[in-house]
Amino acid sequence: MKIAVFIKQVPDTNDVKWTVNNNIDRSRMDSIINPVDKQAIEAGLYFKDNFGAYLTAITMGPDKSKEVLYEALAMGVDDAVLLSDPKFSGSDTCATSRVLAAFIEEKYKNPDIIIFGQSAIDGETSQTGPSTAARLNMPFITQVNSVLNVVQNTVEVSSDTDVKKVIYKVQLPCTLCINNFNQIPRLPEISGYIKAQTYEIKTYSHKDLNLNEEEIGIKGSPTWVKNVFKSPEGRICNYIEFDENNNCIKNIFDIIDEAAKS
Amino acid sequence: MNNNIFIYIELTRDKKIRPVSLQLISKAFELKEKLNGSKIIACMISSDIDFSQNISTIKKYGADEIIIVKDEKLSEYNVCYYPEIILRIIKKYNPSIVLTGATQEGKETASYISTKLETGLTADCTNLSIDENGKLISTRPTFGGQLTADIMNKGIPQMATVQENVFELKESYKDSEVIHESIDISDIDNRVEIISKEYKEASVKDPSLAKIIVSGGLGASTKEGFRLISELAEKIQGAVAGSREAYEKGFITKSQQIGQTGKTVAPALYIAVGISGSNQHLTGIKNSGKIIAVNKDKNASIFQHADIGIIGDLYKVLPKLTEEAELRKEH
Repeated sequence: MKIAVFIKQVPDTNDVKWTVNNNIDRSRMDSIINPVDKQAIEAGLYFKDNFGAYLTAITMGPDKSKEVLYEALAMGVDDAVLLSDPKFSGSDTCATSRVLAAFIEEKYKNPDIIIFGQSAIDGETSQTGPSTAARLNMPFITQVNSVLNVVQNTVEVSSDTDVKKVIYKVQLPCTLCINNFNQIPRLPEISGYIKAQTYEIKTYSHKDLNLNEEEIGIKGSPTWVKNVFKSPEGRICNYIEFDENNNCIKNIFDIIDEAAKS
Repeated sequence: MNNNIFIYIELTRDKKIRPVSLQLISKAFELKEKLNGSKIIACMISSDIDFSQNISTIKKYGADEIIIVKDEKLSEYNVCYYPEIILRIIKKYNPSIVLTGATQEGKETASYISTKLETGLTADCTNLSIDENGKLISTRPTFGGQLTADIMNKGIPQMATVQENVFELKESYKDSEVIHESIDISDIDNRVEIISKEYKEASVKDPSLAKIIVSGGLGASTKEGFRLISELAEKIQGAVAGSREAYEKGFITKSQQIGQTGKTVAPALYIAVGISGSNQHLTGIKNSGKIIAVNKDKNASIFQHADIGIIGDLYKVLPKLTEEAELRKEH
């Protein structure tokens, strides 16, 4: 099987740094592999280990985002590709899925399975996987937490949310968006990292993918940001220093009682 | 193109309307006032079931038209059929705005449709409004909730998804026109077969329905921390919930996670225990009636979003609250 795993490098949103003007200061923030994308790689490796597959990890981003490809190679993927072009920057999910689908059609050709992480911690849209699948006219399953079987030209997976658990049999080729995967992502091997450092990562620009400038980046993105602001601060807090003897608990309980009666 | 607002009405397993779909109609009713000659179009899909109950529910919230599509193949949501059918209806009605719930089904459907129409889609909006040019402004938190962005869409239709409980329900009766659409789906290739489907019975009290929620964050993410939270919640008939960190550490299930990537809740009272108050969490609780925060760090940002801030050690504060709850019960 030919399996493509799309991964993304993201700023660590758990540790946001601000400039004095309340803008995000990316230069002082760490870049990490999007956490659920490690599960996406693991899902790909699960196919490889159990059913046989040739696994390619692909990312779109600046040269620095090769770091996540090295990590994927060290975990055990077979090949790595960087989609990099200054013209890609500013792409929304619509334009991004155009680039990813163009890579599949122009360069990769005939995937059996395409794997995404469910969402990225910087954008959190959950849209890129389904959109790319829609462009490639592939069925897609989201919230995939386990791979059950590959039989002939189909794959059986389970999709698990807080509402329901569904087992699907999907015809290949298909796209799977992984979340809460039932296998813990394996750690990259040190020897894998050493090997990865010398791996020649193929890089493609918009021209290589036969995309024109109007379809990508800011120009090719239907959405645009009119305003960005630091999320507003909320309420006026009545502070109470807790000490075991004061009456604060009784006062608080009046609020609890009121809520219970509402 | 017209100024119409199209809403995909999502049905539950027992074929009732999901609250988020009605909340979207209420919001659309507000948006419509700023748009010339705008109509609200609500669209429902299923197999041949009796829709009369659902139709009267929708009428209560003021949709102008209700489109119904019935087909025996559509007894339950299927990713190969539903999004494509809604796409075909949207192509026919050509609305300027399309809204769906930010549920699994709503997001899949909206992603598919926006791609096929080469238009933009803004996920998990926390507000929708209309600018001076009659364009939709979709407001959403981004960057883990640290930033809030107003997003515009050059494409048509302008599309957005919204989580449950972000908008309020407002009744506004309208005797909506009911339109039965027959869409030929014989050419759609179904490549997804459902082998089994199991709905989860809520094993824990669902926070989205609770009047009181006691919620734990990283600071409460110990066995003892969540034991104390459960104990208090039980005494005051509240639901237990938590932050993304508490979920990642395994102290709560996904259905109990509150925040942008979890649930948005609007209880009468939200008690945040050991939650520092990341914006992605705050997004999910800001519609709460009252917020009480317990944290030993007086600089924790949760306090700026709380009505009452208890600065103290949760392992001492919670037992006191539970003790008081017991006392009050006896009286």
